[in-house]
Amino acid sequence: MAVMRTTPQPAPQSNVPTSRLVTAIAMLLPVLTLALIFEYWPAVRSLYLMFFDWNLVSQDPEFVGFQNFRTIVNDSRFITSIRNTVAYAAILAPLQIVLPLGMALVLRPLATSRLSLAYRTLLFLPMVISLPVAAVIWLWMLNPVNGVVNGTIEALGGIGVNWLNEPRPAMASVIVVADWSSIGFNILLYLTALEGIPHDVRDAARLDGASEWALFRGIEWPLISPTFFFIVLTTVLFVNNEIFGVINILTHGGPYSSTSNVLYYLYERGFRFFQAGEASALAITLVGFFLIVTWIQFRVGERKVHYGS
Amino acid sequence: MAAEGEVTFSPATGHASRTGTAERQSTIPWSRLGLYALAIGMVVLMTFPLLWMVSTAFKGPTEIFTSTPQLIPSAPTFENFQVAFTTKPVGDWILNSTITATLTTLLRLSIAVPAAYVFARLLLPVTRLLLIVVIGTMIIPGVVTLVPNYLLVVRLGWINTWLGVIVPMAASSAFFIFLLRQHIMQIPTDLYDAAELDGAGMVRTLWDIVIPLIRPGLVAVAALSFLWGWNAYLWPLLVLPGPESQTLAVGLGTYASDPEGAQLWGPLMAVALISSLPPLLLFLVAQKHLATALTSGSKG
Repeated sequence: MAVMRTTPQPAPQSNVPTSRLVTAIAMLLPVLTLALIFEYWPAVRSLYLMFFDWNLVSQDPEFVGFQNFRTIVNDSRFITSIRNTVAYAAILAPLQIVLPLGMALVLRPLATSRLSLAYRTLLFLPMVISLPVAAVIWLWMLNPVNGVVNGTIEALGGIGVNWLNEPRPAMASVIVVADWSSIGFNILLYLTALEGIPHDVRDAARLDGASEWALFRGIEWPLISPTFFFIVLTTVLFVNNEIFGVINILTHGGPYSSTSNVLYYLYERGFRFFQAGEASALAITLVGFFLIVTWIQFRVGERKVHYGS
Repeated sequence: MAAEGEVTFSPATGHASRTGTAERQSTIPWSRLGLYALAIGMVVLMTFPLLWMVSTAFKGPTEIFTSTPQLIPSAPTFENFQVAFTTKPVGDWILNSTITATLTTLLRLSIAVPAAYVFARLLLPVTRLLLIVVIGTMIIPGVVTLVPNYLLVVRLGWINTWLGVIVPMAASSAFFIFLLRQHIMQIPTDLYDAAELDGAGMVRTLWDIVIPLIRPGLVAVAALSFLWGWNAYLWPLLVLPGPESQTLAVGLGTYASDPEGAQLWGPLMAVALISSLPPLLLFLVAQKHLATALTSGSKG
């Protein structure tokens, strides 16, 4: 039997007696069964449910064709949630991608100091606690009556902002909380990538009179661009999934749906109004949207990563 | 003034250093100082919300609502914890979070470790195909499975039960299988062969040889799984609507939203602190294990 050897390690066994194969399949069975029941079957079922009108309670789902998609598209709240999802991505992307890069570049010269472990741990802490906890802490800090944020602004002579009850400040709040609770991971990724760069390369270039920007452009950027690309990809997924917890606790999508994203809208249709068909249609639409965005990112990213180096 | 190329002593760093120009010599400590200031500023900004949570959790009601807030409570009190525990089933929430996160991790590891071992050990057309089936689940986005899985859990009568949280969450373990497989592949194959020459079967080899050898990786994976389980929000929110069935993450969220809970910042921060402690402690303890797990491959 010809089996391709893909690993540099001694190749795993490729010729086994039937009894061993039976044991092996038995060991795989629990994982496969659960994957089929809770991953593949539901995915197929969503593709089916999206053509039905069903309130989760009545016995018979009713076939309605593309009616669910028409209902969604004609709902102004859906349009708002799409617009907000795009806005979140557009604003959070630089905050999640470029800001931690800047922070990592600031911290990099300190990497050899004894403080290194301390600041790494401290920067990572917000990432370790859950988004609901993060959201509740900020709910208190942004509270207009005794919140420490308005307190500080007023102490400095400014005028307090009604953070969570006005559309723009509410969206800004969601963005700040989401960014605060996840940026630490990206800083660490960048720091790790930066530390992989040998010191003498930089020192040699600096002796030749290269500016800091030229050093970054010529040495660091090519080497960290794969990390950069990875962060770009994960950010868009984060924006749509993880941010849900922040929205649900901080603003409930309000005021007037101004902070709702597509996943929050799906949650409302499916689990507040019990429209299983509509929620499935939304899920499939969302996946289509993701695929397109990811594809575009791959195309753009490939070009950047290759030509940048 | 030091001439170019001369060896000089810099008082700021305490090192003798060879400098290029006299100008460079004086700018280095200052830029270093600015760097420290920036770094400290970043760390303060990032950690302040957590400090504020801890501070508020131990403040009395009058101190919480003063116009000039202080970071250190003047009269630390456990009153907020008492209020939280008496008005909300916080004890149940702690139990539910602990049980669901622990059992999800145990179930996940008990199915993922054997699978990872088979996928690392046997490279047959069948096992390769099945590996693709398992890893393929990572491409299926959570949103697509949300509604059908909810319907299934309702049908199974698992609403408001631990099972409703544990089984569907443990089912998504492709990422963990992938990580574990990486660890197992680093074990030299001679070790298995020797065990099998002695007549040990796959299950025995897994238990006696593989699991002890991948222990650091296993600890890291278990810590990660526990963190995800403990912090999970959307799925437990859907399947645990009952106030006493909720986990800390879900309970805290509803507490903050309900009319009696909102504005009770002291008790809310007390519950927030309780729900942050296990992840924070676990992170501090497992940090080493995570490092060991990551570097174990390079030691050989």
